Amino acid sequence: MSDLDRQIEQLKRCEPLKESEVKALCLKAMEILVEESNVQRVDAPVTICGDIHGQFYDMKELFKVGGDCPKTNYLFLGDFVDRGFYSVETFLLLLALKVRYPDRITLIRGNHESRQITQVYGFYDECLRKYGSVNVWRYCTDIFDYLSLSALIENRIFSVHGGLSPAISTLDQIRTIDRKQEVPHDGAMCDLLWSDPEDMVDGWGLSPRGAGFLFGGNVVTSFNHANNLDYICRAHQLVMEGYKWMFNNQIVTVWSAPNYCYRCGNVAAILELDENLNHKFRVFEAAPHESRGAPSKKPAPDYFL
Amino acid sequence: MENEIEEAERKATLKAAGAESLPQGRNGVRIHGWEIESKNRSILSSLTYEQWGEKLNTSHLPEMVFGESSLVLWHLQSGINIHFNAFDALVGWKKEGLPPVEVPAAAKWKFRSKLFQQVIFDYDYTFTTPYCGSETVEKNTEGEGNILDQENCNLEWEDSEEKIDIVALASKEPILFYDEAVLYEDELADNGVSLLTVKVRVMPSCWFLLLRFWLRVDGVLMRLRDTRMYCSFEKNANPFILRESCWREATFQSLSAKGYPSDSAAYSDPNLISHRLPVVMQKTQKLKLPG
Repeated sequence: MSDLDRQIEQLKRCEPLKESEVKALCLKAMEILVEESNVQRVDAPVTICGDIHGQFYDMKELFKVGGDCPKTNYLFLGDFVDRGFYSVETFLLLLALKVRYPDRITLIRGNHESRQITQVYGFYDECLRKYGSVNVWRYCTDIFDYLSLSALIENRIFSVHGGLSPAISTLDQIRTIDRKQEVPHDGAMCDLLWSDPEDMVDGWGLSPRGAGFLFGGNVVTSFNHANNLDYICRAHQLVMEGYKWMFNNQIVTVWSAPNYCYRCGNVAAILELDENLNHKFRVFEAAPHESRGAPSKKPAPDYFL
Repeated sequence: MENEIEEAERKATLKAAGAESLPQGRNGVRIHGWEIESKNRSILSSLTYEQWGEKLNTSHLPEMVFGESSLVLWHLQSGINIHFNAFDALVGWKKEGLPPVEVPAAAKWKFRSKLFQQVIFDYDYTFTTPYCGSETVEKNTEGEGNILDQENCNLEWEDSEEKIDIVALASKEPILFYDEAVLYEDELADNGVSLLTVKVRVMPSCWFLLLRFWLRVDGVLMRLRDTRMYCSFEKNANPFILRESCWREATFQSLSAKGYPSDSAAYSDPNLISHRLPVVMQKTQKLKLPG
């Protein structure tokens, strides 16, 4: 058994790698990812997965439902880290699979794959806690810069973490972005990872936060038409039922973190596309309590004041 | 085995305090004429979520609405029912209707957004609410659970100079019942957190609860709106509930000017930093219960 296969087995048991192993793994991953396009081509059949957010044991449920990699070809739409308890093991397992089977798993970048966001929402603290230093966080966030921004399945289904950008009307415009950087606060790359579809507008909307685009049905129709697409598949937003179509089936949100934050009680979904692009959603629930090391459901009594 | 021993001990403690658990399937206690019950449920389904939007006349709700979760404290003799739920809190949000808070990136976006035609949304995405609980009077005239009369009411809360007895609350008497329910939560699209929770603890001598709205808009401001309620079970001619509301607020800029850290990661736990946020409103009120 090669070192890499052994590491994959170890990670599947939710045991993190040594710091030196993480460093070596990231270097190998970098060589692969640097070659990928901003609009990475993906062949069908493929199974598309949304946000995971460090919910390692729930990702194992996902693999139970969807099948193991490499037998199943996977596309993950980002947000591997933050919020959950096992961002380190989750991201490293996906990365190790990427290095081992580069043509059978595609990882694209979510807005949480960023230095700034991970410092606030959990991954940074988790690395510090598990390794006693921030080196692993550094290796991982350096790799984040190399992750592709989107994927194109059989030239017909466009996949991205967040959504569209008013600065982008064609896929070729995405191909020209220099992606090897921290996610910027504005511009096309930021929009692809951050924007959301919105029922209340036809065209573009600006979030009440003063930053962040919302896009309506007309925007999606034009984009799909201009790029000869069947529909867009994205993640980024929690959906109680695991997936949600909008705008007459022109865009679908896929959410793959069941019982999000260990308390929402939502189900999760993955989208399976066969070789003819027929689609089927597979809905699944969170891992049972016995099978995870997560804290118990009941909060401990607390002498709060 | 261990669980059985714990369970037996718990029952003995309850009995010694004159309390009993609610029947199976319900989470709570009966004690000194109070029935205290909490529910922790899932977030709303997409369908119910849309229905709430229609009822509240808004197209925007927090992304996680725990619409069936609640805390209820029911005084059986008077029928006074104090309860906490997401819907009423969102009614309060809608009514208060604060202007939106701009995030730091907004400055850059002002220039950029001129390039495109767009609709600018201006609802209060922080879901700030003045909510401090709901109240009804529910007369239970024909035995348990048979509510014949329910009316929304404005109970007579009087301003009070009294203070909740923090020293008594700090004493480690056994906790007979404890729970915490999230009513709603929003991640502000990864620009911070908006969280409304209520937690309760019931001891042999009193019950105490904290309803907390916690908001952090990363790089901009923090807002903490706490409501605490306390009711003593001491034999007393005039039983009452004390309600203390304390609102705090600070901008990251003002904190940094005082020499406090200004990174969002330093402000993840409101318990640890609440004292750094200046008080903007404080009041104490008292509700007399029929003796």
